[in-house]
Amino acid sequence: MPLVNNKVGDDCTVGPEKALVDGKAQVDSLIKVVACHRHLASCVGGCTDSLQLRDELRRTREKALTLAGSICHHLTSHLRNKSLPEGQRKEMELLWVAFSSSLELLHVDLCKVFNISDIFSLANTVALVQTGLQGGGSEVAARALSLPDLNLAPNPTLPAGLESQERSTMEQEISHMDHMIEDMEMKVNVMRWMVEPHGPHGPQGAEALSSSDSASLAMFSVDEEQPGPPPPCQRSRISVLLLLVAVVLVAATLSVCIIFFT
Amino acid sequence: MTIRNPLRDHGQRYRPRIACLKKLQRHTVGEDIITWLVDRFQMDTQEARSFGSMLVALGYIYPLQDHKRLVIKPDASLYRFQTPYFWPTQQWPVEDTDYAIYLAKRNIRKKGILELHEQEHYNRLHKWMNHKWDFIVMQAKEQYRAAKERKKPDRVVFDCQERAYWVVHRPPPGTVSAMDYGLDRLIDPNADEAKTPDFYARIMIFTQQSIMRPRVKSSVSIGALVKYCATYNSHDPFLSKCLPSNPWLTDDVTYWTLNMPYVEIPTKMRVERWTFSFAELLSDPRGRNDFRLFLKKEFSGENLAFWEGCEDLKWGEAATMREKAEHIYKTFLARGAPRWINIDGKTMEITVKGLKHPHRYVLDAAQTHIYMLMKKDSYGRYQKSPVFKETVKKAICPEEHHFTDAQLEQNSKKRRPSLSPIILRQMEQEQRAKMAANVDITQVMSKLSKQGKEAPPPPCPPPKK
Repeated sequence: MPLVNNKVGDDCTVGPEKALVDGKAQVDSLIKVVACHRHLASCVGGCTDSLQLRDELRRTREKALTLAGSICHHLTSHLRNKSLPEGQRKEMELLWVAFSSSLELLHVDLCKVFNISDIFSLANTVALVQTGLQGGGSEVAARALSLPDLNLAPNPTLPAGLESQERSTMEQEISHMDHMIEDMEMKVNVMRWMVEPHGPHGPQGAEALSSSDSASLAMFSVDEEQPGPPPPCQRSRISVLLLLVAVVLVAATLSVCIIFFT
Repeated sequence: MTIRNPLRDHGQRYRPRIACLKKLQRHTVGEDIITWLVDRFQMDTQEARSFGSMLVALGYIYPLQDHKRLVIKPDASLYRFQTPYFWPTQQWPVEDTDYAIYLAKRNIRKKGILELHEQEHYNRLHKWMNHKWDFIVMQAKEQYRAAKERKKPDRVVFDCQERAYWVVHRPPPGTVSAMDYGLDRLIDPNADEAKTPDFYARIMIFTQQSIMRPRVKSSVSIGALVKYCATYNSHDPFLSKCLPSNPWLTDDVTYWTLNMPYVEIPTKMRVERWTFSFAELLSDPRGRNDFRLFLKKEFSGENLAFWEGCEDLKWGEAATMREKAEHIYKTFLARGAPRWINIDGKTMEITVKGLKHPHRYVLDAAQTHIYMLMKKDSYGRYQKSPVFKETVKKAICPEEHHFTDAQLEQNSKKRRPSLSPIILRQMEQEQRAKMAANVDITQVMSKLSKQGKEAPPPPCPPPKK
């Protein structure tokens, strides 16, 4: 979804309906970016941690912060507008709750990444924990940044000053977020517990997203539980079967040839 | 920090058992972890096992099979290292929002997969976080979609990681939780205190009290400790043998059955303990019974009965306190009471005055007096009495058990829960009821004996012709 740049004091030109739709789109986008950032953050310190991952994290973080800044402006200006109709206000408040929750999650993740990258420096790759992951997180980062794929040429050598520079940038960003959250609380008074969410999101939760994928995933995780005779040997079994079939075919053709020529 | 370092180093070593495993995600095997711990830290296998289990329980390593049991098994069970994001080291707060998102994610992936306790948590969180529920569901969906971008083996690893994290921090029923640490202290005892006037006032009071405290010479106090240790050395099940055998070690409960509170025939060790001090005798129910029997023969049972009544008042329920105090007064202290006890005038005065407004400790002075009386007088005579000598003669000294390994195993299979405390309390109440029934006889006897002592001997009737 393309970023909509809402300048401050724009609400006279933009209709309230559009503002709501825009706000919703932005908040959805922020939620997506926060989810991807969390996914990437859980790889820090593990064996897939690399300059590329840190770079992706940085880009996701920057995108999240820009989005957050713009949503903050947008929602603050609309919620301080006294002339907003009641229905619109309720919707805005919902968006506000979603926005502040995402911001909290993002803040926690930023602090965690800051802490872990402090301890697990990339200069010492032997010390990274073998978590069992193998692939990188480029696809997740691409999803976060809404790009079809990431073309990155990672820097093979680690410049000495880069890590400390990153750290100071992260510190600044975290403090910036702190300020933003504080400002939000000061300027807009939304009583979170009064907000009513949409729809029949009862304890049944949302509908299953894709059952086929889930079934195969469940099967794979169940297989993990009993790796007695290891299932990955299925691949070798398949190759053995193919070999047998090929041998049988060759034998059949040979016998046919023999019969033909005698 | 030091523990994390070796873990990172160890992560490099793993032995691929089967060639196929190379294609799978990297695991370590329980045996390997324990062997490495033994090598690295120079500990023995048992200690390495408990240390390994601690690591698993805290969430640094997680089991792949049997993920709800957070122990390390010294066999070929597979374990994997948890990513630092989920480590408990930095003590980041474990938020309910995250748990709600995790449960929603699992629910989205496949409905009905949540277990019972998870379902309960989910319902409760839905109730308390209703205002955020849109956000939670949306975030769960987005996290799910983000994870789908990965290849399948990595996705499985992510799921296992997260599941292990939540097993540690929201343990299913039956999992021993390592995260239980009790209440949070209000003040950190290691933090430096602010030097306010209150702080200095506290220090001053503390120092003044230290100066005013009565002192004992160390030779005296150490002498008392040495005497205690020498006396009780042979009776301590840690320091010397426990006859017939220590039930905690051999799973054989003979020791406990022989030493039940109201057993008929006590053991020799138990009877020996009664001679150490009067408090020992009174605190052991069987000893107290024996002493009561002796006092009954001597017709001075009222002392012990009074002492027991005072104990009952001190430790009993607050509701019945008033009636108990009055009953005791009527039975033991009032003039012409049926079981009048002999205490000096001053104590009697204090007690009677206090009984106007009875509280738990109103009979303390009288109780102490009677206790000292019994200790100085009756206790000595009891130890020389035929009652005690009879008990000592009948006391048994059980033979020591010598179990073979096979027998020990059998014993452990035959383990049964002991008597429930409810039954024990019922037995105690029966005993007390029996004793209350017996009291009447003693009352009558003692009253008669007193009347006999006071009135002149009746003139012998003239023989009738």
